[in-house]
Amino acid sequence: MEITLIQGLLLFLVGFICALDAGLEVLYWFRPMVVAFFAGIALGDVSLGVACGAVAELSYLGLLTVGGTVPPDPLMAGMMTLVIAYTTGQSAETALGLSLPFALLAQWVGIFFNTVYVGIAHKCDQYAAEGNVNKFSKLVLSGWFFKAIVTGILVFLCSYALQGPIQTFVNTFPAWLVHGFEIAGGILPAVGLGLLLMVSLNKENAPYLFLGFIMATFLNLPNVLPIAVVGVCLAYINYMHEKKTDEASAKITVNDFGGEEDGI
Amino acid sequence: MESSKLLKNGKPRGKLTKKDITKMGLISSIEQASFSFERMQAPGFTLSMLPAAEKIFGDSKEDMSEFMTYNMEFINTEPHMATFLMGLILSMEEHGEDRKLIEGIRNGLFGPFAGLGDAIFWFTVLPISAAICCSLAQDGSVLGPILYIAIWFVAAISRIWFGTFGYKLGVKAVSTISESTKYITKAAGILGVMVVGGLIPSYISLSFSESLKFGMGEGTTVQSVFDGILPNMLPLAIVFFIYWLFKKKNANVLVIILGIIVFGIIMSFLGWM
Repeated sequence: MEITLIQGLLLFLVGFICALDAGLEVLYWFRPMVVAFFAGIALGDVSLGVACGAVAELSYLGLLTVGGTVPPDPLMAGMMTLVIAYTTGQSAETALGLSLPFALLAQWVGIFFNTVYVGIAHKCDQYAAEGNVNKFSKLVLSGWFFKAIVTGILVFLCSYALQGPIQTFVNTFPAWLVHGFEIAGGILPAVGLGLLLMVSLNKENAPYLFLGFIMATFLNLPNVLPIAVVGVCLAYINYMHEKKTDEASAKITVNDFGGEEDGI
Repeated sequence: MESSKLLKNGKPRGKLTKKDITKMGLISSIEQASFSFERMQAPGFTLSMLPAAEKIFGDSKEDMSEFMTYNMEFINTEPHMATFLMGLILSMEEHGEDRKLIEGIRNGLFGPFAGLGDAIFWFTVLPISAAICCSLAQDGSVLGPILYIAIWFVAAISRIWFGTFGYKLGVKAVSTISESTKYITKAAGILGVMVVGGLIPSYISLSFSESLKFGMGEGTTVQSVFDGILPNMLPLAIVFFIYWLFKKKNANVLVIILGIIVFGIIMSFLGWM
């Protein structure tokens, strides 16, 4: 379907508001789940927005901004997965694969800003030395605001202005190519999970990974919540156990509140 | 005794109220504004504390300038928990502690806090909230995104609590925190890893086509052989393969994503998937 000018402007607004949040990471409105939901409302197809958001969210799970690195942009990924699915009529999985170039484009814009804003930090140094609260505040806030405006404009250009070329381009794809993107879309969440594991998995907690996997494979659970609850229980048991061993090995004299039962 | 705690212009230090700290928690939303590669969160981190700092320093420009200058040093921590550090700094400034000491604590603690906050928010809350909300959303229910927004709204509010906590503990916080950080990070790791394990079967779809068989005609399908060993073993294998590429081969995310797309297209072309 076609994106009208009004819808394009609404997408600009969604992009701008979510980019304001992306600059801060406060409300997590920059996550694909929320971006695609809002954009779905703007396009008048909420259920497509929700579906696209869910697919993109998982793929961008592990793509962290941790340590100041800039990953492919989750905001743009959520937005363009929906825009491509909406304009070309492809499935959410296929659209996710096709949204990658746009997520990369936004990533480069992000890197550009993070580099140029070194200048803002230096100007801030000067205001800090002067103790000038007013100018300091204004500068920091305008840097944040300006980046969000640029992201909003980028969203507008990629969605409204580029919809024709995208549609023509995708429609020339043979069926096997489209299906190939669909297969890729099904595997992409593994990237997010793999990245999460890279920072959280270690020898000690590896058994819990398999426990979670086996539960999900054989128990036919409606969602992951029961696994999370079991996880909380196990983490707590482990915490108590570890604290005890640590205290014992540190030979800290603990007040005996009847902890040592004689078993009688 | 009091004289050493006076401001540089000879006036006494202003006192903060509970309200000031709550306000700081709210303002700290802009902690990452104007992020740059060189100082990272320093401008937003400093800005978040300015209204409270103005109350402590009054019209002493010299104190304000010193305060802003040492806070403009490099900092990169987890935004939700940054307020803990801010509360701590403000409490120490209010009591007129030596600035060299405050600066040392600031620079020594943001790293551990980044680790702790990432373990809690990125590696635990994010996968769990995403998983639950996606399973709702895949049925097309708006409840998915709405719940997601609600969860992260509560998480955002937690910054006020962290700020108050840091302010109340003051200097005492340093030893308490470095002790419990280890346990919390570990517990969050267990929970996070277990949830990731639970996500693999439901969210990664990777299986061979029904028409791909061993031998001609009536042969068993390739997929049924894999399912006979362990259902969902292909999704599990691909996660570990990607994990291995990242961990041991230092692979680039972009290369892996492109690799997956190429793989999908080849499999589709061959008709194997």
